[in-house]
Amino acid sequence: MLISDEATNGIVLATEKKSSSPLIDPPSLSKVSLVTPNIGMVYSGMGPDYRVLVDKARKVSHTGYKRIYNEYPPTRILVQDVARVMQEATQSGGVRPYGVSLLIAGWDDGVEPETQELADEGLETDAEKKKASGKTGGILKGGPSLYQVDPSGSYFPWKATAIGKSATSAKTFLEKRYKEDLELEDAVHIALLTLKETIEGEMNGETVEIGIVGAPANDLLGYEGVEGAVGPRFRKLSKEVRNSKGMTPFTMK
Amino acid sequence: MSSPFAINGGACVAMVGKDCVAIACDLRLGLQSLTVSNNFPKIFSYGDVYLGLTGLATDVSTVSDLFRYKVNMYRLREERQISPQTMANLVSTSLYEKRFGPYFVSPVIAGINHKTGKPFICGFDSIGCIDFAKDFIVSGTASDQLFGTCEGLWEPDLEPEDLFETISQALLNAVDRDALSGWGAHVYIIEKDKVTKRLLKGRQD
Amino acid sequence: MRGATILKASDDKTKQLNQNTLMAFSGEAGDTVQFAEYIQANIQLYSMRNDTDLGPSAVANFVRGELARSLRSRKPYNVNLLLGGMDPITKQPHLYWLDYLASLAPLPYAAHGYAQYYCLSILDKHHHPDIDFEQGLKILRMCTDELKRRLPIDFKGMLVKVIDKDGIREIDYDMSKEVLPA
Repeated sequence: MLISDEATNGIVLATEKKSSSPLIDPPSLSKVSLVTPNIGMVYSGMGPDYRVLVDKARKVSHTGYKRIYNEYPPTRILVQDVARVMQEATQSGGVRPYGVSLLIAGWDDGVEPETQELADEGLETDAEKKKASGKTGGILKGGPSLYQVDPSGSYFPWKATAIGKSATSAKTFLEKRYKEDLELEDAVHIALLTLKETIEGEMNGETVEIGIVGAPANDLLGYEGVEGAVGPRFRKLSKEVRNSKGMTPFTMK
Repeated sequence: MSSPFAINGGACVAMVGKDCVAIACDLRLGLQSLTVSNNFPKIFSYGDVYLGLTGLATDVSTVSDLFRYKVNMYRLREERQISPQTMANLVSTSLYEKRFGPYFVSPVIAGINHKTGKPFICGFDSIGCIDFAKDFIVSGTASDQLFGTCEGLWEPDLEPEDLFETISQALLNAVDRDALSGWGAHVYIIEKDKVTKRLLKGRQD
Repeated sequence: MRGATILKASDDKTKQLNQNTLMAFSGEAGDTVQFAEYIQANIQLYSMRNDTDLGPSAVANFVRGELARSLRSRKPYNVNLLLGGMDPITKQPHLYWLDYLASLAPLPYAAHGYAQYYCLSILDKHHHPDIDFEQGLKILRMCTDELKRRLPIDFKGMLVKVIDKDGIREIDYDMSKEVLPA
């Protein structure tokens, strides 16, 4: 079961990591993946199929876009590319459809002129900024967007949704909790509350995995002092990724 | 004289002004010293972006048609206009695809970025290496002459009217010193929300 | 009539592509007819499939595309073309000049090969956008006279075809009269 929630200044992807045995090392299990610096995704269904799709999504974001335009694909384009991969598996001979549903969350910079001189785009406390992106994002306006992709290859844009086991009840819960112009912090809170409704057993940093699309995380670049360099907007909120074990975080530029 | 870049002749130049850009080309199409047409424009528009192509005439047509296709597909897929910067990268990668059998063209791009409002120009060699410039870009058989006239006439922050005068004089005087270019010119002045296209008759000899 | 340098004195180097377009061609011996017939077949196929004729600009760009594709193939066609036609919708006449490199130019008057050197200057001087058919023929006569006078070979006369709103027809064109030195 996995839920996702869109705020004015970002998106949260939250999922329960269920392990079949207490002997499994939980941090090595990962359901939330980075696709491009501003796009992440998560799944419900068959894990191995998901890993294949993550590989293909990452690859197509380069071969089908970055190596042509020298920039990463907007969320909708990436979603369409992944959806095409899944659709083709329903119509080709000798293969079976992918056994997963996906939630893909991303941030687009948009192409319309900036209306007000925005203070640092990352600082989302700005009241005006909130109004500017009151609705969901998109290629023209920019901002956050969230898509669900099904094994058939159909995809839907959402403000908030859930997939997987007990998705129906989670969606009912989200319908009650979701408001326009949420802050990212609130969205994380709502996502965790929704998870809590359906989760069985303990709920902690080892059983829950969270990914967010928020302000650019320049600290994840791995370097500093380069003018114009912007950190990734997608990052995972889990203890092992940031700063533990003195690991240098891996990022893509 | 048998360089594919110098068979048909032609010249193109782009310049940056204050919140505006200009791009201009001559109209000659020739076969060596013989002029075949005095109405062969070398600037093509792709929404907000303008692409100038000099070099082998057949490749000017082929490449302009190819980008009409690519940019139309981009617009349909993404439901937005292509930005000058994105167009520059598209041109670069498309030309490099033909690294070992290149199109014999020297492209020039001019446009204003819709999002930032900033002017943008750049040029390429025939295999896609981008030449970013803050001032001007020249290409074609009169490129040596254009370097001279542009170095002499261009100054920073020209207003649209002055930029038109500058680029027109730069082009006209350069092509008069090149036997393979001239016979009229097209000049585009691109501002934030206005594009002015002018036809310069030029010397017809 | 025949000799070491002349195989045929009345070779028709044109192909009618559809109701309103005619293509004249020159170039390497085998290539010309092969390419022209290929184009003719495809344009005719289009007319049969769609019950309508392509306009001259569509035909010209199709031919250019095929020639440009051929240019970067293992054995390119060496064919130069002139394409004339009446647009069936706007009723406007069009003339396109295409060389073997697939350079395409729409022109008011055009020629290929040595004829360019002899005729273009005459046409530059005498052609105007609003001349009528008789005036056009008069200028054509000046051109063919000049070719007869100055070409180092006997090119055995001219075949003249006219494209207008009524279609395409060949006209009598007498070249037997001796041309005096200028």
